[in-house]
Amino acid sequence: MSILHDEGQQAIATESRRILEARVHKDDLLPLLQTSGRYHEAFWATAKEQGWTALALPEAHGGLALGLVELGLIAHQAGRTLSGAPFLTSNFGAAKAIELYGSDDQKQRWLPGLASGDVIGAVAIASGPDALPAHPKVTLTNDRLDGVKDGVSGALHADVAIVFANGPGMPVLALVDLAKVEKTAIDSFDNSRCLADLHFADTPAETLVSGSAARAAALHILALQAVITAHEQTGGAEALMEIARDYAVTRKAFGQPIGAFQSIKHRIAELYGLVELARANCIHAASREGQSDFVTAAAAARLSATEAYDTAARDCVQIHGGIGVTWEIGLHLHMRRARTLALEQGSSLFWEDILVDRLAGEAA
Amino acid sequence: MSDLEAYRAKAAAWCESVAPTFGKAARKGLSVEEDLALGRRYQKAKFDAGFAGINWPTDLGGQGLGHIEKITFEAEEMKHGFPNVYFGISLGMPVPVLMQFGSDRDFVKERVLKALQGEEIWCQLFSEPSGGTDLAGLRTRAETDGNGWKINGQKVWTSWAQYSDYGVIVVRTDPTVAKHKGLTYFWVDMKAPGVTVRPIKLAGGDSHVNEVFFDDVKISDDHRMSPVGGGFSVALATLMIERYVATDSAGFGPHLDLFVDLAKDLMINGRPAIEDGRIRQQIARNYAMRSGLDSINVRARLMMQAGMTPGPEGSLNKLVAVRSRQKLSELAIDLQGVGGFHFDEHASPKDDWASSWINAPTGRIAGGSDETLLNTIAERILGLPQDHRPDKGVPFNQIPA
Repeated sequence: MSILHDEGQQAIATESRRILEARVHKDDLLPLLQTSGRYHEAFWATAKEQGWTALALPEAHGGLALGLVELGLIAHQAGRTLSGAPFLTSNFGAAKAIELYGSDDQKQRWLPGLASGDVIGAVAIASGPDALPAHPKVTLTNDRLDGVKDGVSGALHADVAIVFANGPGMPVLALVDLAKVEKTAIDSFDNSRCLADLHFADTPAETLVSGSAARAAALHILALQAVITAHEQTGGAEALMEIARDYAVTRKAFGQPIGAFQSIKHRIAELYGLVELARANCIHAASREGQSDFVTAAAAARLSATEAYDTAARDCVQIHGGIGVTWEIGLHLHMRRARTLALEQGSSLFWEDILVDRLAGEAA
Repeated sequence: MSDLEAYRAKAAAWCESVAPTFGKAARKGLSVEEDLALGRRYQKAKFDAGFAGINWPTDLGGQGLGHIEKITFEAEEMKHGFPNVYFGISLGMPVPVLMQFGSDRDFVKERVLKALQGEEIWCQLFSEPSGGTDLAGLRTRAETDGNGWKINGQKVWTSWAQYSDYGVIVVRTDPTVAKHKGLTYFWVDMKAPGVTVRPIKLAGGDSHVNEVFFDDVKISDDHRMSPVGGGFSVALATLMIERYVATDSAGFGPHLDLFVDLAKDLMINGRPAIEDGRIRQQIARNYAMRSGLDSINVRARLMMQAGMTPGPEGSLNKLVAVRSRQKLSELAIDLQGVGGFHFDEHASPKDDWASSWINAPTGRIAGGSDETLLNTIAERILGLPQDHRPDKGVPFNQIPA
């Protein structure tokens, strides 16, 4: 069952769009690409001020007790405006892991800060090409972590991380205070994501879940984050479709708007299809949190959103011709973000396998 | 249980109850004529049970309910493979247009009741050899003849014309004005002298479409359903009536679980095909696409229930679903290797991959080709410009042939 958004939810979408369109500008985002370790502070300040960081967290710990549907709507708008700072998703993922699998002490210690946005969380599950590795390279022995988690979004500024590690004979999902952990910044094509490798060396860590339940928990956190990211991707794809349309109705060649040529107009109509399928899958997935088919719905949302954003980035630049590849016009911001978001929370290859395992009745 | 859920349950129960008489198994091995006869009995049973003309006015024999009840029933009906295909066009477009634009109300009522009970079938005479998408470019002409009209010309791709009693037709009544402005809309008696119907055998082997020839077919002016020269807008109204129909994200081909079963049964290089990355990718991609359509359709139903107009994204259904079906059918045949050569002309496209494959092109052409649908999305939804149209505003008889 999918859903229609109620009035409150529609207001969240409209209001977040209005605010972000007023406060996020391409000219502020471009310079972030050329430095390492800086994020778009104006966006994060807005997210904190508007309570978006608290939106989907429990009231008992400073949250607003809304859910994936509402946070998804914010993420969609953030995607439209290329809003920097990866923490909207990673804070949520880290907080959900603590809320679902943590002790009361852990919740009291971390959740209020994550909800207010004063504490920044990261989620480190992947290892190289494996979004959910069978044998994580980071090891946990006697509550101490060792090894490297590579390519963790937002990690450069994170205070706390959820780490999927190899425990004593079984996988574990662990909570780690990053205060004393060495971080190596990654020079990326999308530097405002503040990517870093985390180097653990005899680092104290607290186990949240262990054994096969740890793997299921890690997948659940990935799926929750994937639904948020899918909304962000869909927003980006939608913005690119509109940019392409606006350009095609104004730019003329051979005496007519280029949008009158079917090679252009059909390309944009196909983008419309990809965006609407992704949007529909996102709305559906957000409404399935807590249901048995949630991971399946998240995978479908993730796959269609990645396809929509990548294709829109490719085609929007192509429709613009030469001007599309200039630094100044900034379409490359979307190209970069599309690829970044395609990797965060697991690539399409990962989600295809997750989905087919479920459809074939072979899910672990 | 909501009212709609109660309605669905009632519809489901009725469909179950008649499935042994009219369902897929009962139809197996029947000739087209026998199947049509069964279909007429099914349509009558549907009428008697109160499931015909669900969203039509009660004074014309309908049930006076909404689009939502109609598509709810259709979704249940679709599960059983009933012989309703012969009435799909008839009750979908020509008869509703007759209800809306027919001038003789007693005649209208009599026809509607007979059509609803499966006694009479109507066809829609729009496309011509010179064009289908370019409807306004049609050439069949009607000239005044005494107090009435005389029709000459040819229609084509007319579904079920060979079994039809009546048809609605758009013809050119004035070739000296721009093409959209010289058309007039009539109904015709398909048994009238001068009407010749010739079935066309399609690639998949069936012959549900026809050529229809008109040679000096005389009709009186009371057959006219539009002002003289005002036929194009009635034609457009005809095409708009069927906006709310039950959809199928499998493009009326086999559902994805059948592909998954196939991939589990067959081996590639000694391993189950379901473990092959190429196969897995296609399953996942098709699932994501189809689940997107399913969500669009669920939301459209919820909007109708809430009294709102569904969004324009519903226009993606046919475009996306049939393309997906066509390629997946090819892959399903590939999977079977030389075992995939078998072909049964009478197999159902809903559960047979070869049948689905060979009939898929029809789905991408009939009722608006992929290219036309993309143009519609681009122009109506996204506000992109129309294509260059050299015949725009030019009198019909001056357009270069």
